[in-house]
Amino acid sequence: MDAAKIKKILNFFKRYSCTDFNDLEEPVLYTVFFSLDRISVSPSIFNYETSLKKCAQGDRRALMQLYEQEAPRLLAVVLRILQNRPLAEDVVHDAFIKIWQNAQQYHSELGSARGWIYTLTRNLALNALKYSHRQVLFEPEFLLDLCDHHAIENEHQKDNVETLVNDPLAQASLNRCLDHLEPQRKLCVLHAYVDGYTQDEIATLLDKPLGTVKSWIKRSLNALKECLQ
Amino acid sequence: MKTTDADSLNTDNNLAGQYVLGTLDKTERVVFEARLADNPQLQKMVNQWQDHFVSITDQLPPVSAPQPLSARIERSLDTLETSRPITQKPTTNFWQSLPIWRGLAGVGMALTVFFAVQLSTMQPELSEPTYIAVLVAPQDKTPSWVIQTGQSNQMQLVPLAAVEIPKGKALQFWTKAEGWEKPVSLGLVKKGETLKVNLDSLPPLTENQLFELTLEQASGSPTGLPTGPIASIGRGVIML
Repeated sequence: MDAAKIKKILNFFKRYSCTDFNDLEEPVLYTVFFSLDRISVSPSIFNYETSLKKCAQGDRRALMQLYEQEAPRLLAVVLRILQNRPLAEDVVHDAFIKIWQNAQQYHSELGSARGWIYTLTRNLALNALKYSHRQVLFEPEFLLDLCDHHAIENEHQKDNVETLVNDPLAQASLNRCLDHLEPQRKLCVLHAYVDGYTQDEIATLLDKPLGTVKSWIKRSLNALKECLQ
Repeated sequence: MKTTDADSLNTDNNLAGQYVLGTLDKTERVVFEARLADNPQLQKMVNQWQDHFVSITDQLPPVSAPQPLSARIERSLDTLETSRPITQKPTTNFWQSLPIWRGLAGVGMALTVFFAVQLSTMQPELSEPTYIAVLVAPQDKTPSWVIQTGQSNQMQLVPLAAVEIPKGKALQFWTKAEGWEKPVSLGLVKKGETLKVNLDSLPPLTENQLFELTLEQASGSPTGLPTGPIASIGRGVIML
């Protein structure tokens, strides 16, 4: 566990803990921190880049820590797309093997390490769609709730870890930008990303011509890009 | 139509966003991935979009993975470790030459422009290709040919740029799938023509099947095997 992470967790406990950690001896503190390493922490604390670098060096423990950290979230993403539990678990298995094999290809100039991990995993999930006879469901409320930034921010305030270590403004920025899109266009983007629906499926779902959906998505991306800058 | 650098950056960024959303159609996706492999800037755009969008799915309730899954991953890693020394045996075999395959990944702007033009001018769209390969020049990796097969049992070899064939010579089209002992000739290319190959006489096309064009004498290779320099080379992808 790196120093920055220890410091963040230490600050957290100092501010919010039920135990007074200042009274503890340093070796005891370290034991606490190392056991914390086994549980999932907020994505903004976990150092994905270091994790990938260690994997590239053949450090298996790093991969298993990454697994503890990210597997439940990756499984949620993949399961949402495939709607098939055994298949989703297969994909997550394959994803971790591929992360292990390809970790050497990642370097800091490629930007977000977490983005790299999700791109790799989502691609495997999208490729596996051909083996899944999933249903195309229309759940606009579910999707819109998912990125309702007011709700998310409220939740952040409830969750001390999140408010301490996350910059809520940065976290919510994509959600904010999505809010600037017209509801139907926003739904196109969400159906594509969250559900993994194709443009054809979205067009059928929203009862719009394919060309309209295509151009909505392209323009939405341009608008998001501008808003995110 | 003039394309400035800023324009192509914006186009790339939009393509990267569509790639992350998963909304590129099959051909666009294959072409984008071919460019991606060799383009750190493009990869960075993809990772950045992904990092933004993943904040949405971070709101999904996490699904706890069953204990056996991590054990299964560990077992697979064990298997990988024991088999690694055998599979990674270094080889200088031409068919496995790294620079050539690395180069194939560098399919450039020309192809994007080609497909952009094709996609915008060919409305309504042609029947979706079921198999596609992009052939590039071995030296400068310029994409020069595309192979497509559709529903019909015919393969088309389409030039992406003007083709120059020296006098008294011909371009011969070859293919070799994994496990084949030697390449098979698919015919000679005539200037300005799309070569059509009937697939009935061939085994089914496979993923990663090799295609290449070599410069031979006008009547074709005398030996029935490629003898001249490679003009263009690439591997096929199955589109399901």
